[in-house]
Amino acid sequence: MLKAMLIKEIILLWRDKQALAALFVMPAIFILIMSIALKDTLSPDRVLLTYAVVDQDNTAESSMLRNFLHENRAMAEQEVTIISAAQGQELLNGTVHFILTISEGFSRHLAGEQDLPPEGPPRLQVVAAPEVKAEMLTLVQAELAKAVLRLRIQTMRKELTPFLPELARKLEKIDFEGKELVSVRFSGMEAGLQPTSTQQSVPSWIIFGMFFVIIPMSTVFINERRQNTLMRMSAMNISVPTLFTGKIAPYLVINQIQVWLMIGVGLFLVPLFGGDALTLGDSLPGLFMVSLGLSLAAIGTSVLIAVLAGTVEQATTVGGIINILMGAIGGIMVPKSYMPPAMQNLANLSPMSWGLEGFLDIFVRGRGAEAVITESLALTGFGIGLLLVAGIIFRSQRGRTA
Amino acid sequence: MITIKNLVKRYGTHCALDHVDLHVDKGIILGLLGPNGAGKTTLVSILNGLTDFQEGTVEIFGLELDKEPRAIRRRSSFIPQSLALYDNLTVIENLRFFAGIQKISGQCLRDTLDSALSVNRLHSMLDQKAGTLSGGQKRRLNIAIGLLNNPEILYFDEPTAGIDPELRNDILETIRCFKEQGKTVIYTSHYMPEIEKICDEVAIIDHGRIIRQGPLATLLQEEKGGSAIIELLPASEKKLQQLVDHHDDVERVDATTLIMHRHNGQKMGRILSALESEGFAIRQIRYGTQNLEALFLRLTSPERDHA
Repeated sequence: MLKAMLIKEIILLWRDKQALAALFVMPAIFILIMSIALKDTLSPDRVLLTYAVVDQDNTAESSMLRNFLHENRAMAEQEVTIISAAQGQELLNGTVHFILTISEGFSRHLAGEQDLPPEGPPRLQVVAAPEVKAEMLTLVQAELAKAVLRLRIQTMRKELTPFLPELARKLEKIDFEGKELVSVRFSGMEAGLQPTSTQQSVPSWIIFGMFFVIIPMSTVFINERRQNTLMRMSAMNISVPTLFTGKIAPYLVINQIQVWLMIGVGLFLVPLFGGDALTLGDSLPGLFMVSLGLSLAAIGTSVLIAVLAGTVEQATTVGGIINILMGAIGGIMVPKSYMPPAMQNLANLSPMSWGLEGFLDIFVRGRGAEAVITESLALTGFGIGLLLVAGIIFRSQRGRTA
Repeated sequence: MITIKNLVKRYGTHCALDHVDLHVDKGIILGLLGPNGAGKTTLVSILNGLTDFQEGTVEIFGLELDKEPRAIRRRSSFIPQSLALYDNLTVIENLRFFAGIQKISGQCLRDTLDSALSVNRLHSMLDQKAGTLSGGQKRRLNIAIGLLNNPEILYFDEPTAGIDPELRNDILETIRCFKEQGKTVIYTSHYMPEIEKICDEVAIIDHGRIIRQGPLATLLQEEKGGSAIIELLPASEKKLQQLVDHHDDVERVDATTLIMHRHNGQKMGRILSALESEGFAIRQIRYGTQNLEALFLRLTSPERDHA
């Protein structure tokens, strides 16, 4: 009985080109576009700040300071000549994020010369464009402080070399980047590796695509109700639980095909277009648990909408809107980390967000099945709950016996 | 084969079936007649276990419907008026699906498919999508699906609605064959000639009650002397009622229809003259052969008047 229903649903889906596009082509294209478009966002070489320098000191030390700043790949100096304050202001209106002015006397200040006037403006001045975030300015300040410290130590080293050569050598070996003392790596990843845009995009758009089962499910279900094939099935002893199982089983299979096809897109297709290849993590059981839970949630939502909607148009419109809203608040379209705290709390209401956290645990954080039990159970409970509600409504709509 | 006693079905305060009693013997074709909203569909739905009921008992094959609906449904088949099939599946895919959900497989499936296809002459269009079939071919597929479980009772809900006369005769012949195979058929329709043509018995239902049931010949005999139906073009209902009040054996069915019971030439002449003098235009007069229709209209006319 279930075999017949499975074959029927798959044939009907196979012949519904729009549904196939929504289930398989749309998420694949999203994965491809977003993985490539966001590739630079997560790159360590990404330039976060651009700046211009007004070097009024024009000494070897000021030049060295600029070279130290160049070592930070998150900041890029623009080669511009500023001859007036107005020109500087113009640059801050879109060309650079900040202007660093190295005042005359900077090198003498470093050397500790006593004849410098005790008061006056600081030797290094940063003027930032208003849109620059405060934490970015903190980064600039820290970079400048580090560069000045290196210059000071270099000066000290030169002075100490004739008298204390051993100490001077030690000073020369100071690791200003902290690479010897500090190890930084992302959870679940080896040192030197980091999350890629593909790892972020694949789970998001898999989830979005999975929820689009609303289109074929509601189309078939509503047509069955309209054409009385559902009634005919009831007259052939198909009970509501069997009918629902006959709907759920094929789409569980279809959702799993979606998951693995989209993973295939991340693994093989995205690299062909210059993006990073997806890494799968180490927990296939975890992946299966989350995808199964997501599938039930998507199917539950779809069946409930199909039962409540009067027409195919209603179901696909309402279903599409619900999907987009759940995706928008659930961190599918905009990562939750970019959202303010209140929005992040709201995001937790969306089952898409639960699934995304589960997938990110597996794909990005490299965690195991035990880490996704909560998300998987929540999704499964959500899906089963909606199916029960849909079943009750469907049964009452038909007012049938047995 | 089917015994219904005191059956009551209510939708809220509306009583769709009001203490219905009905008995159907094995191997007959029963025509279930009734105006729209009379309760035909509700009754057929109940007999197929698709709708529950509040009071009464229904026994089919000697089994109680509310206790063993699944066993009863396995031995009966419902062929709905709407084409309950999948347009995007081919003929054979539709048949295989509906056979599959009834757990028909193996040799039994091959035999039943062959039989259903032969009876309905669908062999040449097995791989054609149902959506591309003509209206008549879809109807035949609709019937073929209903034959898959080799049912002992077949319920047809207006199977010839909206189809051409040639195909109608074709379907009626098919249904008559089922009787020859010993099957019982419950046939709902608005077309009186169809009922007269194929049914052994008739049950007329109105306002949720069976108001007349019996062999067709017996019921028609009750219309002694025959009746004539006079159809008029629309005119004043008030004038028509006044005219009817002055003539014996003439009843008004609705705004444009009169029935004359026990008609003869003299009475007919009188009423036609009266109609003409009052300015009524006559569309047509039907005599004798529409006896069942006359009976049906007479029995259900109070309802029409109220409507």
